[in-house]
Amino acid sequence: MNIIVVENLVKKYKSLTAVNQISFSVKAGSIFGLLGPNGAGKTTTVECIIGLMKFDEGFVEILSLNPITDNKKLYKEIGVQLQETSYQDKIKVKELCEVFTIMYEKPLDYHRLLEQFGLIDKTNTYVNQLSGGERQKIAIILALIANPQVIILDELTTGLDPKSRREMWECIKNLKREGRTVFMTTHYMEEAAYLCDQIGIMNKGKLIAIDSVEGIIDKADIDITISFETEDDVFHIIKDELNKKINKIEINNTKVKIYTKSEDVLTDLIILLRDKKINYRKIDIKRPTLEDAYLKLVGKEKETEGNATI
Amino acid sequence: MRRFKKITILEWKLLTREFITIFFALIFPVMMLLLFGSIYGNEPNEFMNGYGIVDVSTPGYINMIVAVTGLMSLPLTLAQYRERKILKRFMASPIHPMDILLSQIIVNVMLTLIGLIMLIIVGIIVFDLKFYGNFFEALLAFIIIMLSIFSIGLFITAISKNTRMANAISYIIYFPMLFLSGATMPLELMPQTIRIISKALPMTYGVELFKGIWLGDHLIDFSLELLLLGGITLLFGGLSIKLFKWV
Repeated sequence: MNIIVVENLVKKYKSLTAVNQISFSVKAGSIFGLLGPNGAGKTTTVECIIGLMKFDEGFVEILSLNPITDNKKLYKEIGVQLQETSYQDKIKVKELCEVFTIMYEKPLDYHRLLEQFGLIDKTNTYVNQLSGGERQKIAIILALIANPQVIILDELTTGLDPKSRREMWECIKNLKREGRTVFMTTHYMEEAAYLCDQIGIMNKGKLIAIDSVEGIIDKADIDITISFETEDDVFHIIKDELNKKINKIEINNTKVKIYTKSEDVLTDLIILLRDKKINYRKIDIKRPTLEDAYLKLVGKEKETEGNATI
Repeated sequence: MRRFKKITILEWKLLTREFITIFFALIFPVMMLLLFGSIYGNEPNEFMNGYGIVDVSTPGYINMIVAVTGLMSLPLTLAQYRERKILKRFMASPIHPMDILLSQIIVNVMLTLIGLIMLIIVGIIVFDLKFYGNFFEALLAFIIIMLSIFSIGLFITAISKNTRMANAISYIIYFPMLFLSGATMPLELMPQTIRIISKALPMTYGVELFKGIWLGDHLIDFSLELLLLGGITLLFGGLSIKLFKWV
C-alpha cells in the first residue's frame, strides 16, 4: 500500500521552477529518503506533500487524503519535524510536550516518549538549554505525540555532531520497527544508505533517480577499484592476463590501481600474482558507495546542463 | 476551547518570564508615578485646571502600559514566533496558528490590565489618586485605545520581514509615542513645538480621551479622538489582516 503518492508535481516561485514534474510513491512501513544538494527542492516537495504549500500542477495524496483540502484531517494523522524550527524563548520541555498533547485526540504519553529517548531528566529544563541533538529528539517526540502512521522529517540531522547523528539514526530505525512510515530529507549519504529503503535523488527541482540504495549504485555504473603496492613491474602481466575484465590500470611508482566492474577480478588477480611470484602488499578493494553514485548522478546533471547552454 | 485555554495559559507563563516586558509594563509605570508624584504631589494645581498632577498623569501612564504591551511585547513576540517557524510548525498541527495569535493578544491585554490595576492601587495608597469619571465610559475608552494601539502592533508584525525589522519599527514608533504624546509627561508642561508634533501621534488622542474621561468628561465630548482612534483601528487592523503572513 502506498502512504504517499506524488505524480508530476510542479511548484513555481515566480520565474524559478523549484519542483519540476516529480513523481514517486512511498510504501507503508518503509523509510523513504529524499537526497539532493541545497536548493534542489527537497523542502518545497515536503511542504507540498503536507499541505503547507500550494502547488501549481500535479497530484499529491498522503494517507489517501488531499493535503490541501483535507489538511485539518491530515494533521491529526501525521507527525512532522520541519527544518530549522525552534521554539518559544523560555519554554520548558514539559510545557512544549503538553501543548502538543492537548492537540490530539489519542495522544501518546509524552513521559514515556521522554523516557524512551533518554530525556526524562530534562522534563523541567528550558528547551533552549538543550543540546542540538536533544532538541532534535524533542522534535521527534513532538511528531510522535500524535501517534502517527507517517512521520515527515526534514533535515533532522543537519548540524548535529556525528555521535548525535548516529543516535538519531537509531531513533529513526525504531520508528520503522514500530511500523511507522518515514519520509525524510537529508544531505548525508551515509545516513540515507543506512536508513532508507528507497531513495530519490533531486537536483534543480527534478528527480534524477529513484531506487533502492543498491539500485542507485548500480544505475550510476561506477567501477570497483582494486589497489595494491608492489616493487615489481606488473603492468604487462595484468594487462595480458586480465585485459577482458578490467577497464583501466593506473600505476604510480609502487601503487597499482585497477578499475573493473567485476569483483571476480580480485580472485583472478591474487592467483595471477601468486603464480608469477610477485610480492604485493596492502591489497584493497573499494566498491562504489551511495556517495560515489550521488556525486556521479548529480555531477552528470551539471555537465549535460552545461552542454545545453553552449 | 480547552485547547485554546491551555495555550493561552502557557503563553501567559512565557510572557511572565520575559523580564524586560514585565519591567516596562508593570514596574516602570509605577516608578514614574512614584517619581513625579513625589516631586509634584497631588495637590490641586492651577496649571492642571485645579486637578492634582497625579490625577492628570495616571491616565497617561495607563496609555504608556498599552504602548508597551501593544507596540513592543505583542508585535515582537509574534515576529519572533514567525521567524523561528513556530507559527509554521503549528500550521502542520490540528490547531491553527491563529490560536497562538489570539492567545498572544489576550495575554497582552491581561498584562495591560494588571499594570493598570497596580498603578491605580499604588496611586490611591500613596497619592490619594482620584477618579472623577464614569466607570463604563472609562472602560469603553480603554478598550478603544487598546484596539487602536494593538492594531498598530499587529501591523508592525505584518510588514516586518524578520524580528530585527520589527524591533526597529517598534522602537521608532514606541519612543516618540511614549514621550511626545503626553503619556509620560503631561503635554501642558511641554513646549509649543512638541505639542504640534504630538498631534501626529495616535497615542496623543488616546491620552486626551482617557484623561478627559478620567477627569469627568464624557465620550460625547471626544468625537474627534474617537473617530481618529476608530479609524486607526480599522485602517491598521484591516491592513494587518490583509498583509499578515504566517510563514
